[in-house]
Amino acid sequence: MKLKSLILSSALMTVAAASAAAGELSVVCSSEQDHCDLVANEFRAASGADISMIRKSTGETLAQIRAETGNPKIDVWFAGTGDPHMIAAEENLTEASGADTTNLLGWAKNMAEITGGKAIGVYAGALAIAYNTELLKEKGLKAPACWKDLADPAYRGEIQVSNPNSSGTAYTEIATLVQLFDEDEAFRLLAEIGKNVNQYTKSGSAPVKAAARGESVIAIGFMANMVQQKMSGFPLEIVAPCEGTGYEVGAVSMIKGTKNAAAAKQFVDFVLSPDGQKLGAQAQSFQTPSNLNTPVPPEVGNLSSVKLIDYDFATFGSSKTREKLLARWNAEVKSAGGAIEQ
Amino acid sequence: MKKTTALWLALGMAGYVLLPWYRTETGIFDPTTLAAYFSGDLRSGLAHMLFHGRWWLVAPLVGFTGSLIVLFFIKAQRHAAIGLVSFAALGLALTALQGVLVVASGSHLLWLVGTDAAQESMGIGALLSFVGLLFTLTTGISGLGNGRGDAFICGLIGAIVASVGVFVFYPVSHVLVRAFELPGGAGYGLAEFLPSLFSAEIWGVRCLVFAGSCGAGTNSLLLALMTGLGTTVLGLAFALIFTRTNFKAKGLLRALTIIPIITPPFVIGLALILLFGRSGTVTNFFADVFALERTRWLYGFWGVYLAQVLSFTPIAFLVLIGVVEGVSPSMEEASQTLDADRWQTFRYVSLPLMRPGLANAFLLGFIESLADFGNPLVLGGNFNVLSTEIYFAIVGAVADPARAAILSIALLLMTLGAFLAQRRWVGKKSYTTVTGKADSGRHAALNPGLKAACYALALPWAAFTAIVYSMIAFGSLVKLWGYDHTFTFAHYARAFAVGFNNGVRFTGSAWDSFFTTLGIAAISAPLTALLGLATAYLLVRQRFFGKTVFEFSTMLSFAIPGTVIGVAYVMAFNFPPIELTGTAMVLVIVFVFRNMPVGVRGGIAAMSQLDKSLDEASTVLGANSFTTARRVLAPLLGPAILAAVTYSFVRSITSVSAVIFLVSARYNMATSFIVGRVENGDFGVAIAYSAVLILTMLAAILTLQFAIGQRRLRRTNRLETA
Amino acid sequence: MTNAMPRGSVRFDRVVKRYGSVTALKELSLEIQPGTLVTLLGPSGCGKTTTLRLIAGLESASEGHLFIGGKDVTHLSASYRKVSMVFQSYALFPHMTVLENVAYGLTVKRMGKAEAEQRAEAGLEMVGLKGFGKRLPSELSGGQQQRVAVARAIVLEPEVLLLDEPLSNLDAKLRRHVREEIREIQQRLGLTAVYVTHDQEEAMAVSDRIIVMRNAEIAQEGSPHDLYERPASAFIADFIGDANLVDVEITANAPSGPEITVGGKTLVLPPTNLKAGPAKLVLRPHQIKLCPSPSAATFPAEITYAAYLGNQIQYSLQGELGSLFAVALPVADAPRVGSSVFVSFDPTEARLVPA
Repeated sequence: MKLKSLILSSALMTVAAASAAAGELSVVCSSEQDHCDLVANEFRAASGADISMIRKSTGETLAQIRAETGNPKIDVWFAGTGDPHMIAAEENLTEASGADTTNLLGWAKNMAEITGGKAIGVYAGALAIAYNTELLKEKGLKAPACWKDLADPAYRGEIQVSNPNSSGTAYTEIATLVQLFDEDEAFRLLAEIGKNVNQYTKSGSAPVKAAARGESVIAIGFMANMVQQKMSGFPLEIVAPCEGTGYEVGAVSMIKGTKNAAAAKQFVDFVLSPDGQKLGAQAQSFQTPSNLNTPVPPEVGNLSSVKLIDYDFATFGSSKTREKLLARWNAEVKSAGGAIEQ
Repeated sequence: MKKTTALWLALGMAGYVLLPWYRTETGIFDPTTLAAYFSGDLRSGLAHMLFHGRWWLVAPLVGFTGSLIVLFFIKAQRHAAIGLVSFAALGLALTALQGVLVVASGSHLLWLVGTDAAQESMGIGALLSFVGLLFTLTTGISGLGNGRGDAFICGLIGAIVASVGVFVFYPVSHVLVRAFELPGGAGYGLAEFLPSLFSAEIWGVRCLVFAGSCGAGTNSLLLALMTGLGTTVLGLAFALIFTRTNFKAKGLLRALTIIPIITPPFVIGLALILLFGRSGTVTNFFADVFALERTRWLYGFWGVYLAQVLSFTPIAFLVLIGVVEGVSPSMEEASQTLDADRWQTFRYVSLPLMRPGLANAFLLGFIESLADFGNPLVLGGNFNVLSTEIYFAIVGAVADPARAAILSIALLLMTLGAFLAQRRWVGKKSYTTVTGKADSGRHAALNPGLKAACYALALPWAAFTAIVYSMIAFGSLVKLWGYDHTFTFAHYARAFAVGFNNGVRFTGSAWDSFFTTLGIAAISAPLTALLGLATAYLLVRQRFFGKTVFEFSTMLSFAIPGTVIGVAYVMAFNFPPIELTGTAMVLVIVFVFRNMPVGVRGGIAAMSQLDKSLDEASTVLGANSFTTARRVLAPLLGPAILAAVTYSFVRSITSVSAVIFLVSARYNMATSFIVGRVENGDFGVAIAYSAVLILTMLAAILTLQFAIGQRRLRRTNRLETA
Repeated sequence: MTNAMPRGSVRFDRVVKRYGSVTALKELSLEIQPGTLVTLLGPSGCGKTTTLRLIAGLESASEGHLFIGGKDVTHLSASYRKVSMVFQSYALFPHMTVLENVAYGLTVKRMGKAEAEQRAEAGLEMVGLKGFGKRLPSELSGGQQQRVAVARAIVLEPEVLLLDEPLSNLDAKLRRHVREEIREIQQRLGLTAVYVTHDQEEAMAVSDRIIVMRNAEIAQEGSPHDLYERPASAFIADFIGDANLVDVEITANAPSGPEITVGGKTLVLPPTNLKAGPAKLVLRPHQIKLCPSPSAATFPAEITYAAYLGNQIQYSLQGELGSLFAVALPVADAPRVGSSVFVSFDPTEARLVPA
C-alpha cells in the first residue's frame, strides 16, 4: 500500500506540475459571471493572448492577494467595487500599469490619481433605494424619495441594508450620508433609519434581492443590482434619493510582481477602451462606463440624470477614515437598536 | 528489517541522485521537462549540492550515508535499528530545516538565511528523498520492537503523522500564529490574545436572559449543541426504521436521507426562504387561510437550525446505520430471554451498545454545525456565529486576520471540548458485537411505542425534505423562482448546452467546472477513505505512544472553518518549500485532509464493533497487517467504507468555503461557480446546476453502493416479524 | 496431511511483561517439550492468557527472551511465527464460508487456491465436518464452529498450536467430547500444543503437563498426577481437584515421616521436607471415610448437608477437623443430615503442605 500511495502521489505531482504552465494571463474578475466570461472571450479574440479568468468576490480576492504577497498567482484584478482596489493600492499589493487615462471620465481619473495609477476606474454605479411595489401597496406605505424619508417610523422593520463591517456597499452609504450632511447628523440619521432596519446583511447585494422577492419592503444598495433584478421581472422600483447620492467606482488593478506584465497591461488597456467597456451592457451589467467614448446603455440612464455628490475618494477611501467611521457606526448605530428580530 | 530498509533507502537515494530536486514547471513526463533534464538544466539534489554551491542540500545525504553504513556494518539487530532511527531522523530534520530556512520570499512564518540563497519549491526528487528517509525511520522504529515489530504499522503511523503534519499543522500554524500578533507590528505575545479570546463579544450570554444578543461563540455553541442533538435523534430514528421495521418504502426513504448531504451550499437555505420566508409559499398559505402575520422568523436561530438539521441528519444517519446494523442480534435475544420486553431490550441493551455510534454522530453534527458557513450566511439574519464572523474577518470590508485567528481558536476550543466530552462519555467500555462467534441474525423488532415515535419523527421530516427538494427541482425549471413561474429549460441550456457542430462540444458555461469538480472529487474520495480508515484502524487496533494527541490532530482540519483552511493553504503552499497553489493537487489535498475525519469517525465506530480476535486470528494464521486489513477488516467494514467514500466524494463536490481561495481559473469548482451565481441573484442557473450535481452524485452513490454492497454476516438480514 | 509435522519446543527465558505499571508476568521461565500438550491453568488474571499471547506474538515481551523450536522469536512478528491459535470466541471470519475460513491461512501464505482448498477440505474432514465447506459460520452450531476453528489452526501445520479456552462456549457434554477430539488430533499429529483453561478437570483430562499460574508467576508445574498427588502449596491442593485443608502442627520431623497433632491426636505421615511448625493437611474428599461408631483414629463430626448424585453422595461435615467436604458411594443405610458420624482417613495417603 505504501508503494501504491507513492505511485499515486507522484502521479499527482505530475498533474500538479503540468498545471503550472506559465505565460497565461490569469485574471480575477469581481463582476458578474456573464460579464467576466464575455470580457475574457473578447480579449482573447482581440489580442490573441492566452487568458484564464475566474470570478471571485472583492473580499475574497483581496484576501487571496494578501496571502499571495511576493509570489502572486493572479496578474490582474478586474472590476468589483473600488474600495478594496484602493486598499490593495494602499497596501502596495498592486502596481501602476501606466495605462492611458486621458479619455476617461473625471471620477475614473480621480481614482487613478489617488492611487498613483495602481487602480483605475472602469465603471461607476450609484447608490440608491429600491422598494417592492406590491408589498408597499399591500402594507399601505408611502414610497420613499429621500434618505431622510427612511427614518419614518412607518417603515419599522421594513428596511434592509448591509452591514458595513462586512460589506463595502454599506460603507459607501455611510460615507455618502456623512458627505451629504455633517458627520454627527449623518450618524443620527443612520441610527434612526437603523430602528427601521430588519436585518443588517453580510453581503452588499442581499438587501436588493430580499426586496425583489418580498422578504423586505425597502432595500439600500447599488443601482446596477436593482436594475438587474428589475429586468429579471421582479416588482422593484428604483429611487435616486432627492438629497443626492454617492457612488462606487469599479476598478481594474495590476497585481504587484506579476510575471505577465506585458499581457496584463494589454488587458488593462482593453477594459478601459470602448470595445472592452461596451461588453458590460451586453452582459446585462448596467453601470456607467468610464471611457468618454463608450456608448451608455439606455437601461442605466446617464449618471448625470442622478444627482451625484462629489464623492471624496481620497478621504473616504483611506483606512483611517474607514476605521473611524466604522467604530462610530458600531457604537452609535448598531447598538442603537433596529435589527428588530432578536 | 534490513531488506525493507534497503528498498526504501534505494528509493530515496534514487530521488536524490537521479531526479530533479526542485519542482518543474511542466509535468515530469512532459517532453520539455525531459529535454531540460537530459541537457542538465534540471539538476538532482546531489548535483546541486556538489557542483552548484547549494551546500545545504547535503542534508538528505547525511541520512542516506548514515543509514547505509549502519545497514552494512552493524550486525546486531537492536543496534542497527537504533542507528537507522538516529540517522534517518537526522536526515529528515535537516532536509526539512533547509527547506523552510533557505527561502527567498514568502512564508510569513519563517525567516531566511541569505537572500541570494533563494530556492524553488521542492519537487519529485525531494519528495522521494523524504519518503525514503521517512520509511527508513519507521522501519527502524519497528526494528526496536515497537508496534509489535510490525513495519507496516510503524510505516502507516509515520506516513499519517507526516502527512497530517505537512498538510494540517504546517498551514494552520500560519493562520493561528496571527492570533498572537501585537497591534502595530510589535511582534507576538499574549497581551492581546487572552483578553480578546475571552471577551464578551465572543462569549456574551445576554440572550439567555432575553436581554440582548449573545456573543458569536455562545451562539455557535448553542446552535451546535442543538444541531448535534437533533441530527443524532433523527439519524437514529431513520436508522431504526431501516433496520428494525418492515417499513415499505425504504428505498424512497434512503434517497431522502441521502439527498441533503449531496446538496450544494446555499440551496437548502434558498429553498427554505421560498417556503418559509416572509413571502414564502407556506407563509402565504398560512397568511391567507389563517390570517397569520407574515414574519421573518426564518432569519435567525431557527432558520439556521432548521437548515442545519436538514443538511446534517444524513451524516448522523450514515454513521448510525452501520452501528445499528452491527448490534448483534444475540445480545438482543439474550435480553429478551431475560424477560426484558422489547422496549427494555432497546433501552438497556441495544441503545447502550450503539453508544460509540451515537457519540460519533453527535460529534460530527456538532462540528459540522460549528464550521457551517453557507446556512448562517443565507439565513442567519442578525444571528451571528463564529464561522461567518471568521469569514468576514478575512474577506470583509475591514479584514482583520488577527481577529479571524482568535475566533478560529475559540472555535477550536469548542471542538476540543466536544471531543474530550465524547471520549469521556464513550469511556473504555467494550462495544464489540461482531465477534468471531456467529449468531443467527434476527434483529429484535422495535416495540410499538418506539416504532411509532420513530415514524412520527422521521416521516414528517422525510416529507419535509421531499417538499424542499421538489421546490428545488421546480425552481430550476421556472423562469424566475419565487416570482414568475413560467416553465422553461433556459437555465439548464445556459449551464449545460452541448453543441454538435464539429463533433460534440460542451458549450454551456458550467461544463468546465463540472468536469473539474467530478475529476477532483473522484480522485480525492478514495484517498480520503483510505487515509481515514487507516487512521481509524491505528486508533482502534494499535497501541502506540501519543495516541490521543494523534487522534485529536486528525480531527483538527475538520473543526477549523473552511475559510481558515483555505487562507492557511494559500499562505503556506503559495511559496517554497512546498508550492502547490493554482494546481489541481492542492484541491485534492485540501479535500482529503478536510474530509478525512469523517472516515476516521465512521471507521472508529464500525471497527470498535469488530472483535479484536478476528484480526488476531488472521495474524496468527500468518497474514501480515496489510493482508488482515484487506481480507478481514475491509470486507467487514463495507458500510463504513461506503460511507467514507460517499461522504468524501460528496463533500468534495459540495464544499465551498475552503476552496474559494484555492480555485483557479484553470481549476474552478462547481460550488464556487454556483456561489458566484447566487451572489449575482442568478438563482435559476445556480439551482439548475445544483440539481444536475445532485443527480450526478446520486448516480455515483448508487453505483458505489451497488459495487461495495452490504456485508454478509448472517444468512439474511432477517427481521423478527412484529 | 502427514504425521511428520514440524514439532516445536517453546522456551521462556526470564520473560517479563508489563502493561504500564501493571506487571502481567514476573520473570517467567518455562520449557515445553515438543509433541506434548501443556496446559496453562489458573484463575482469571493469573497471566496464563498473556503467556499464550506472547507465544503467538500478539504481545511482545518487555524483558527476557522467547524461543520457539530453539529459535529466538522475541522480536518476530506474529505473522512470521509458525504458530496458530484457536480463540475462545473462535474468531471465525463471518463474511467467509467455512472452507474459506479454513483455507485462509494457506492462501495468505501464497498457496495456490486449488491446493489450499484441497488441504482445507482435508482439515475439515479431520474434524468431522466434511461437506460443510460451503456454509457460513453463522449456519453452524457452536460445537461445529469450534471444530472449524481447530481445523483452521491445524491445516497450517504449526510448530505450536495454541488454544485459548477453546471449550468455554460449549455445553458440558459437548465439551468432554470435543476435548477428547482435540487431544486425539494433537497426539495423532504429534503437535506441540499449549492450552489455556481455568477448568482444572479439563486440564487434567487433556494434558501431558500442567503449569498452574497464580499472580503472574508459576505456582507449580508437573503432570496431572504429580499435581494432584504432590501439591506444593495449599493453593495447588485446592485448585487441582477438591481438597479439605486442615490446620495441623508438625511436632517432630523424623526421617520416617513427620509426626503431627490434629484434633488432639498424633499421627505419622509419609516423609516430607517441611520443618516443624504449623502446616496444612490435605484431605481429598474421597479419602474421608465415615464410620457410624468411634475408634482410636476417628474424629467426631456432624453431617450438615448431603446431596444425592446417583453415583455418589456428597457430604458437608462439621466437627473436630473443622468443616469438611466428603464423598461416599451411595449405600442403603447412608447417614442422614443431622446425624453424628466419625471421620477417619488413611494417614499414608494424606499430604502436608505449608500453612
